[in-house]
Amino acid sequence: MPDARDRAGRAASSLMPAPHIGVRTSAARMTWLVSLCLLPAAGWGVFLFGTPALIVLAFSIGTAVLAELASTLPFGRFTLRDGSALLTGCIVGLLMPAGAPAYVPAAASAFAILVVKQSFGGLGRNWMNPAMGGVVFAFLSWSGPMSQWIAPRGGTVQGAVVPPLEALRAALAAPGARGTTPLAVLSNAGFRFSDLDSRVLGWINSHVLAPLGTALPPGAFDVLVGHVAGGIGTVSAPLLLLGAWFLLSRGIIRWHLPVFYVGTFGLLAAIFGGLGTGQGWLAGGPGFHLLSGSLVLGAFFAAPDPVTSPLTNRGRCMIGIVLGVLTFFLRFFGSLGDGVAASIVLGNCAAPLVDRWTFRRRTGHQEGTA
Amino acid sequence: MTYPTKLPRGGVDPPAEILVPRGSGITNAAVPSRALIPLLQHAGKTALCLVKPGDRVREGMLIGKADGSRSANVHASIPGIVIEVRDHLLPTGELCAAVAIELGGEFDTSGKPRSRREWESLSRLDLLDRIRGGGVVGLGGGSIPTHLKLAVSPGSSSSLLVANGVECEPSLCADDALLREKASDMMEGLRICQALLTPARTVIALGEHSEDLVPEFERLVRQKAMKVDVAVLPSRYPYGHEQLVLAALGCRPPGSESSATVLNVATLYAVFEAVVLDKPLFERVLTITGSAVRHPRNLKVRFGTSIGDLLEECGGLGSEAAKIVMGGPMRGVSIDSLDLPVTKGTSGIIAFGGPAALKKTELPCIRCGSCIEACPWDLVPTRLSKLVRVGEAATADREGLSRCTECGCCAYACPSRIPLVAVLREGKRALRGSDA
Repeated sequence: MPDARDRAGRAASSLMPAPHIGVRTSAARMTWLVSLCLLPAAGWGVFLFGTPALIVLAFSIGTAVLAELASTLPFGRFTLRDGSALLTGCIVGLLMPAGAPAYVPAAASAFAILVVKQSFGGLGRNWMNPAMGGVVFAFLSWSGPMSQWIAPRGGTVQGAVVPPLEALRAALAAPGARGTTPLAVLSNAGFRFSDLDSRVLGWINSHVLAPLGTALPPGAFDVLVGHVAGGIGTVSAPLLLLGAWFLLSRGIIRWHLPVFYVGTFGLLAAIFGGLGTGQGWLAGGPGFHLLSGSLVLGAFFAAPDPVTSPLTNRGRCMIGIVLGVLTFFLRFFGSLGDGVAASIVLGNCAAPLVDRWTFRRRTGHQEGTA
Repeated sequence: MTYPTKLPRGGVDPPAEILVPRGSGITNAAVPSRALIPLLQHAGKTALCLVKPGDRVREGMLIGKADGSRSANVHASIPGIVIEVRDHLLPTGELCAAVAIELGGEFDTSGKPRSRREWESLSRLDLLDRIRGGGVVGLGGGSIPTHLKLAVSPGSSSSLLVANGVECEPSLCADDALLREKASDMMEGLRICQALLTPARTVIALGEHSEDLVPEFERLVRQKAMKVDVAVLPSRYPYGHEQLVLAALGCRPPGSESSATVLNVATLYAVFEAVVLDKPLFERVLTITGSAVRHPRNLKVRFGTSIGDLLEECGGLGSEAAKIVMGGPMRGVSIDSLDLPVTKGTSGIIAFGGPAALKKTELPCIRCGSCIEACPWDLVPTRLSKLVRVGEAATADREGLSRCTECGCCAYACPSRIPLVAVLREGKRALRGSDA
């Protein structure tokens, strides 16, 4: 018996309030897992664009970590363990073109950590997603360097290297753009996809689709697997979705915001996208728009960032719709990239408003007390 | 059998950690050689001490007399001699007078057959008197004297009477064990309460893991010619909470006043003992479990038995105990002394082993909303806790702080390990302070 009493004596040091059990997962673990799930897409980007991509990522991540250290260590805090600085650096780098000069990812990461995040008090207090803030900052400051695209490994280069989305934008701006779908517009404008694309599509079209009387347009393969120029980590939608599926299945991100975001955007692109190409209503070719640009990365990895999205699932659905609408307008009528980063930043601003609205039922409080 | 009409929101599902083997029954704990019986084992004021050192007491003798309406009688749990009456620390940190009894003399009742008394002919007042006299309090956690719940003014009747067999805490299974062993007696207790309350409807609410008992209870209902529904509720924490059981039965929204009465099954059994066996409440069934306990089990324990003795009876601590908790894992009190006695409100003892139970470092709130989803009371714990921490308890109060029952779901679900319950409790304390 003295045995047990002794042990309890030692247990005295751990007196603490109820509850005495808790969920296994932790905020830090969740953040690290999000970074981990970006790895396949990042790996694909490094494979496609080679050393320049690695340099961009090294500078974005390195600067983010250093900036986090510089802004917390003097106050006696060490916050790298929560993984959020690394994740911010990761997303900043993955949204950059591989050819961006090193100072651009470095400055974007530094802005993200120092201005967007730490100046508001660090993790959990920033009202804007740091990575998205940093990327928008870079877009506004260095639009030239932010379009230093590098041709993907095995791609066909003819003239300047541009991602399909930018090429489509340029083609539509020029007079006489024609084509039933975005890919057809690109083909007609002389955009060259890779040889691999034509070989693969040729085989599929002749062996599988010919008997069915249809055919895939050139570029379908390249756009689907991400064998195109673009942001380092944004090109491969399938690999991003693989990571997102893991996060969703483990409950690390909730489906509400991404699904409503992508759904709203896809719907709008399908309904109105055809107007720009002269095809009229309901002829938008949403597949192209869903797969190109940074929509998948933004919708599944940046927009659901809990810190800057609403607290309730109802609110997340609302913000998802708002983001879908914003991205649609910014992409089809705006001039700032593909519209994803900018709309997420704008959507972040609306999160507190949405919270306030969805809480009213819960808290039963009156107007003016939020 | 009826199924819940509307499931409450929120709640959490801790991994099943019921280490007590199912169907292992209830074991009688050894009679302690010395019992330390606190005179405050109920909601109201400390009972008035009726004994002094040197007095000889019998088993079940009244040693503390209820003082005020919410107070309850306290009885000797063992025969013997009163050694001393002194202030003793309760697990809650309060000091209260406690009677120490050294075992000696004859057991008047234990081990001897008890004659069953006819109760149907008794008047309502007599019934209530016996329940009050027996020191019966709610054994589900509130420790409110049971006669208060049963004493409705003549003429008015309660709309719903619920026998609550849904376990109040994960890992505890004493109620389940009691339902298995004492179903018939418990039903008799329910009949007594029916006679007192004349409810329009009576329901026995069982937890999911007691679902196999449904046929047994339906048989008992027929045998006793009672009008009782048997309902099965999900075994999700904290669905055993009175208001949530009512909500699940389609009664009314949680938190509102109702004319429904909910009595824990262990309380009903105590009512049966007090009225039919004339045996006051001086022992109860509780679960002793946790990964550090060698042989977890359900024990019937006399009040005043020390926790150390009980752990020893369960084979002692098999591994280093990181933490010992009185009560359940969600609401229990972490204790630092094994000399604390078991009282009417003790529903279990848990000895956590290993680092899982150790304190985790707190991270900033990442606004994930887990606490909101977990809260059964529709509160926004993260917002309330932030308000409390910046000294805005009054604003938190306007946003429903007082509806918080400290069930612990938010803190359980928080991936940043913010001690939300402790913070909210602090806020309530601040509010009380500003009122005074």
